[in-house]
Amino acid sequence: MTEKLSMVVSEGTFDKAMMPLIMGTTAAAMGTEVHVFYTFFGTKLITKGVKPKLPGFWRLFTGMFVKRMKKVGIAEYHQLVKDAQEMGVNFYACSTTMGLLGVKESDLLPGVKVLGAAAFLKLASESKVSLFIG
Amino acid sequence: MQKDATLDARGLMCPMPIVQLAKKVKELKSGQVLELLADDLGSKEDVPAWCSRTGNALVGTEGEGKVLKFYIRMK
Repeated sequence: MTEKLSMVVSEGTFDKAMMPLIMGTTAAAMGTEVHVFYTFFGTKLITKGVKPKLPGFWRLFTGMFVKRMKKVGIAEYHQLVKDAQEMGVNFYACSTTMGLLGVKESDLLPGVKVLGAAAFLKLASESKVSLFIG
Repeated sequence: MQKDATLDARGLMCPMPIVQLAKKVKELKSGQVLELLADDLGSKEDVPAWCSRTGNALVGTEGEGKVLKFYIRMK
């Protein structure tokens, strides 16, 4: 059976947005099945038109970060999400958070599935590695 | 070293060399050797780790200044 990696993302800032994408695409490139579960403020990261910003004071420097990343071959956020999905990375939105934050299924990026805690925990329990990003 | 293809990942930072590598190997046949050029500091450990996880053989590594050359035989 293919090895699995599961991640939970609970924050919606730029740094927390990038980590699961970098780890996820790399793991997928290494032949691992990847499952990323977005909950609480993380849920916003997989909605249409989102532009994640660095936290606190660093917020002002987000654009500079994006430019620097582009220079070293890392695409902008939405392109990275698409690239990750193309490589087989699975993205899930927490159903409860969607209700709490008023996120509709039609607000989610294409290919994102809605999942409850039990279904994600099943995937996590089958994973050799689980990471919490929050 | 004899090679069938080259992937120039110079100037790219982690994880892009590995992501590009994973895409490139799909174009190659079993037994062919890919030369990978990389200058990301992480590559020194990342490329061998990728090879061992994916079952492709790292048959040679050469260092030339900041640029590392990896030779990978496709499984």
